[in-house]
Amino acid sequence: MMIQCQQVSKSYYKGSTVVTPLQALDLEVPKGEFLALMGPSGSGKTTLLNLLSGIDSPTSGSLIIAGANISTLKQRELTAWRAKHVGYIFQLYHLVPVLTAFENVELPLLLSGLSKAERRERVHTALKLVGLADRHDHTPAELSGGQEQRVAIARAIVADPPLLVADEPTGDLDRDSATRILELLRELGTEQSKTIVMVTHDARAAAAADRTLHLEKGQLLENLQTT
Amino acid sequence: MIRSFINLLQLAWLQLVRHRLRSLLTILGVASGMFLYTSVETIQRSLSAATEMTAADTTLVVYRENRFCPSTSRLPEYYSEEIRRMEGVREVIPIQIAVNNCGASLDVITFRGVPAETLTAYAPEIEIIAGSEDEWLKRDDGALIGEVFAQRRGLIPGDRFEAVGVIVTISGILRSPNAQDNNVAYVKLPFLQQATKLGLGTVTQFNVRVNNADQLESVAAAIDEFFRSAEQPTNTRPEKAFFSETASELIQLIRFTRWLGMGAVVAVAALVANALLLAVRGRIKENAVLRTLGYPGLAIGCLVVSEGSMLGLIGSAVGVGGAAAFLAWQSFTMGNEGLTLAIQPDAPVILTSMIAGLALGLVASIWPAWQAMRQPIIQSLR
Repeated sequence: MMIQCQQVSKSYYKGSTVVTPLQALDLEVPKGEFLALMGPSGSGKTTLLNLLSGIDSPTSGSLIIAGANISTLKQRELTAWRAKHVGYIFQLYHLVPVLTAFENVELPLLLSGLSKAERRERVHTALKLVGLADRHDHTPAELSGGQEQRVAIARAIVADPPLLVADEPTGDLDRDSATRILELLRELGTEQSKTIVMVTHDARAAAAADRTLHLEKGQLLENLQTT
Repeated sequence: MIRSFINLLQLAWLQLVRHRLRSLLTILGVASGMFLYTSVETIQRSLSAATEMTAADTTLVVYRENRFCPSTSRLPEYYSEEIRRMEGVREVIPIQIAVNNCGASLDVITFRGVPAETLTAYAPEIEIIAGSEDEWLKRDDGALIGEVFAQRRGLIPGDRFEAVGVIVTISGILRSPNAQDNNVAYVKLPFLQQATKLGLGTVTQFNVRVNNADQLESVAAAIDEFFRSAEQPTNTRPEKAFFSETASELIQLIRFTRWLGMGAVVAVAALVANALLLAVRGRIKENAVLRTLGYPGLAIGCLVVSEGSMLGLIGSAVGVGGAAAFLAWQSFTMGNEGLTLAIQPDAPVILTSMIAGLALGLVASIWPAWQAMRQPIIQSLR
């Protein structure tokens, strides 16, 4: 099992009010599965994604990912874990605007201890995998939205993490680009055995996943689809 | 670890290079501040060299008592024979001084009239780097000029120039470890006495070399005591003390400039800190993405500090290099009451200014780096 969430809750203060976006959530995701999370705004999708990616910690419960109980890790350990185990794909790509596609994809490897030649090889492979081998030297401003997202996906997979989390990866793209991105994610799942958790509002995007779960008020409602 | 650090430095360098306008403006500001700082430090250091006594100082200056300007200090030339006979005196040289400007000036021309046969005996450290001493000995109007003076005025052996109503022909250019020598024109004593219409037999001062530094005070006291009741009583001081006292107003002014240097340092630090704070604020999402990718907060801080240090170092290199080149090219000489202070940059000033610039960049980036390290990831990504 790649992901095991047991009674995971997350609360925080907003002023003097306690907000609980996730409440006693249980979830299991097998290795290699492509899971879609849907739900209205404020349902806790992004909070769950942040917990799974290790950029946030649960208030209570146990979160075991790739064999590590990340809910017990300290901040420094969590950062190191994140670098090896998770690739994050943002809705708005969040590429560094002054860096080229190559340099953006290389970012996760800069602290890995790999040699320059090894990094170059890995970045080249990642860019080739997303179909942008010929766009090494292009800055984000010189790429279309779909291409930017593919660079962001290359950045997410370049360190070869077993888990990819994607926060509405097609939310800012036209239909054709969105379709290509979803195909790419599926390929990564089937060919690279990546486990993918994707938050989306788009039913068409969710249809590309192996399974779709609905969240509402911090709790899972149903299991809609298994392909 | 080292490889990761080098990669972070390269990333910081890319951020500087790709934000070209912002970096250039910041570097220009740092360079301006460091130009001022280096200039002030050069003046301060030149002043220290001219006024701070060292164990190697063995020169006394005998001046007319209660006189402070070369035009009013008049002593009989024969005093030199009396002084030479005193215990502890190694050599004595009578000097007639004529200057084009007795007040504070940035371009002082000083003639020193000395007996031709005693110059090299009195100052064996003087080296003739162009022309020849023989030529000087042959010509009545010959002058040996200091290399800084020659450079400032663009003079070479064979040239003639006129100042203070004295016309001389340059016989040679000299170099000396004593900064004063590099800024004056040595001419023969009788020639200068006649050219300035002072008359033979009268000089401005005597420079006396004692056998060792321990004898400075005792010999000075002995000279003044000897001439206490003479026709022209004397006031004898170590050369650097003489400079300190005679040019005290100039020195006060120069010491004040230290505040300008400090102001420049504060301005540089504030400029770098401001530029980096703006950069950090503009890169909140970018840094959060890096944190998401597995960059520890320390690495983010390291990136900011690296950028600050590079800005400081590059700005310093431009400012310090510019100041050194400018001062070397201009060969400024501050003068007062016939004493000159050559403002020449040297390696210690350049090195300390470069280190100061780097340290400023580093220190100024600590707070912005701390801010960048502490940005919460999730809020920053929203």
